[in-house]
Amino acid sequence: MTAPCSAPLPRRRLRPMALRLTLASAAVCASAAAQPPADLRERLAACAACHGERGEGVDGSIYYPHLAGKPAGYLVEQLQAFRDGRRHYWQMVWLAQYMDDAYIAEIAAYYAAQPPHTRAADVTAAPLPPAVQGRAEHLVRHGDAQAGIPACTACHGAALTGLEPAVPALVGLPQDYIVSQIGSWRDGTRRSKAPDCMAGIAAKLAPADIRILAQWLSHQSPGAHDRPAPAGSFVPPLACGDLPHAEVQP
Amino acid sequence: MIRRIALWAAALVLPLVLLAAAAGGFLLLQQGGLAPYRVPVADATTPPAGDASEGAYLARIGNCLTCHTVRGGAPFAGGRPFRTAYGTIYSTNLTSDPQTGLGDWSAAEFRHAMRNGVSRHGVLYPAFPYANFAHLTDTDIDALFAYLRGLPPVQAPAPANDLVWPANWRPALVGWRMLHYRPTPLAAPADASPAWLRGRYLVDGLGHCAMCHGTRGPRGSLPADGYLAGGRIPGQGWYAPPLDSRQLARYSVDQLADYLRNGASEHGAAYGSMAEVVYTSLRHLRPTDAQAMATYLKNVPPHGGDEAPDASRFLYAGAQPTSNPHNGGRLYQDHCASCHGDTGEGRGRDYPPLRGAVSVTAPDPINAVRMVLYGGMPPTTEGNPRPHSMPPYAGRLDNAEIAAIVTHIRSNWGEQSRPVSPADVAAYYGIRGD
Repeated sequence: MTAPCSAPLPRRRLRPMALRLTLASAAVCASAAAQPPADLRERLAACAACHGERGEGVDGSIYYPHLAGKPAGYLVEQLQAFRDGRRHYWQMVWLAQYMDDAYIAEIAAYYAAQPPHTRAADVTAAPLPPAVQGRAEHLVRHGDAQAGIPACTACHGAALTGLEPAVPALVGLPQDYIVSQIGSWRDGTRRSKAPDCMAGIAAKLAPADIRILAQWLSHQSPGAHDRPAPAGSFVPPLACGDLPHAEVQP
Repeated sequence: MIRRIALWAAALVLPLVLLAAAAGGFLLLQQGGLAPYRVPVADATTPPAGDASEGAYLARIGNCLTCHTVRGGAPFAGGRPFRTAYGTIYSTNLTSDPQTGLGDWSAAEFRHAMRNGVSRHGVLYPAFPYANFAHLTDTDIDALFAYLRGLPPVQAPAPANDLVWPANWRPALVGWRMLHYRPTPLAAPADASPAWLRGRYLVDGLGHCAMCHGTRGPRGSLPADGYLAGGRIPGQGWYAPPLDSRQLARYSVDQLADYLRNGASEHGAAYGSMAEVVYTSLRHLRPTDAQAMATYLKNVPPHGGDEAPDASRFLYAGAQPTSNPHNGGRLYQDHCASCHGDTGEGRGRDYPPLRGAVSVTAPDPINAVRMVLYGGMPPTTEGNPRPHSMPPYAGRLDNAEIAAIVTHIRSNWGEQSRPVSPADVAAYYGIRGD
């Protein structure tokens, strides 16, 4: 997929010239039939309020995740989860609950096609004390074999930028958001399609490890062109939803 | 001596007892006598005779799915909570499971429950719109039954209701019916058109529109004089407007039929409870049925004649506003005008006009406040597959600012002189999930 797919669109009425330019730029980056039509940004004003106009996130937000550049399959699954009762953040349920799969797919494709440029590292999170920095990095890169916790990088990629078609990036996320998601997996208020691998991992994580992981991750920012790893470029070791995975030894 | 006292007492008490018995008998007759309580016992093994494919359509239009499915749960397996003034009740399982669903019901029992609101479980709560379903033809009820009996069985007992006394005691519902239930067959005016008759059948029967659009009386009743007269929907946090020729004057019959099926129009988009009804039910309406409903609704006589609706029926949360709404116009320009227009004119089907909108003209301000707080996304439908959305302002504007905006639009374009206070906004904060 080519990177510059995000020519800013005119805010109000499209003039014919602008329309032609927009269509031209759409043609340049049309890597898939799902290329979103030019007016989607205007239609998604509700999303922009918290996620930014192109899903890049909002400066100063201590909670809302970015959407830009995340794999479309992941975004589809999340919108369906809000609609179908697997996630319960009510402001999202409110907006997604009467939305059919076709519009969900179009919205997901729109945000997935944006450059994954998010705001800089989470400045609201305190720097990690050196004493636990090593522990956090070890969990991220190697996991904790004794506790049965795989490395984050095993599924989310060595650069933590995710994996097509449906594993999200872990970089560029606010600390509170990460803590909240892992907590939600632990208490069942966030569920993924079975097998729900993250629910299993979240249950094994010690509370202190959740905090330092979130703090460490929230200081990582993706580069402007760091897209999710291509599908099939590596094979995650865990069975997650209906994604491909390596055979796991019992 | 004792005998004389007993005689006197009997002479005094007996008339009272007789009077009470007569009144009870009269009220019992008013709600249909004893016949509703005789649930027919019949063989449940006979295969349903109705047309299951027509039943699938009727179940859609009756919107059985919305009430009888919990979010993310198996369709028709029940369990959705309904919050009422008397506590929470849960919908039941309509799948063909013999233990927890309709699997060992006979067609006769199903007909009886639909028409009378009484089943093997006793008197049903009036959250189940049997007063509406009483109008259905045998053919349609049998078609529904054939469809429901064909659903895959799902073992799902309904959660226990959590109600206060006396509502938690089913026999008390007989008393409620004596006070409030007046079964009334639909009369057939000689000059009625087929479209009007079909429309009324759908609106008053399967569609049970009055459950939300009727004005509620005491104890959650739906008295005849509140028929489609509008009001706050119990447990939902939305105001449903009256449905009559005055309220719907801005729609043509074609536009209204189009709105019912697509949830969008040049006069406004469906939001709140109506968005759900369009998404799960009305978008499946056959065009002729949508035309029929619109024809009927456009001919419902205006409530209260030419008088404006009585705002005193609708409680405002706050006493009187503490903020000066003078900045409402400026805030409107900053946050709303780019979509809704400088004079509230909107932009076609994309951005609803505020001038004349229900949220702006209604005596109850709750819809306007909640839309500004939490924004909205109309349902996706065939005619509106990619809806425009409204951003939420909760957290971006404070209660006083939201109150000022809502007061501005309601006083300028809704002729609602009563200001909305920050306390009103605070009272409507919070999305209640199910």
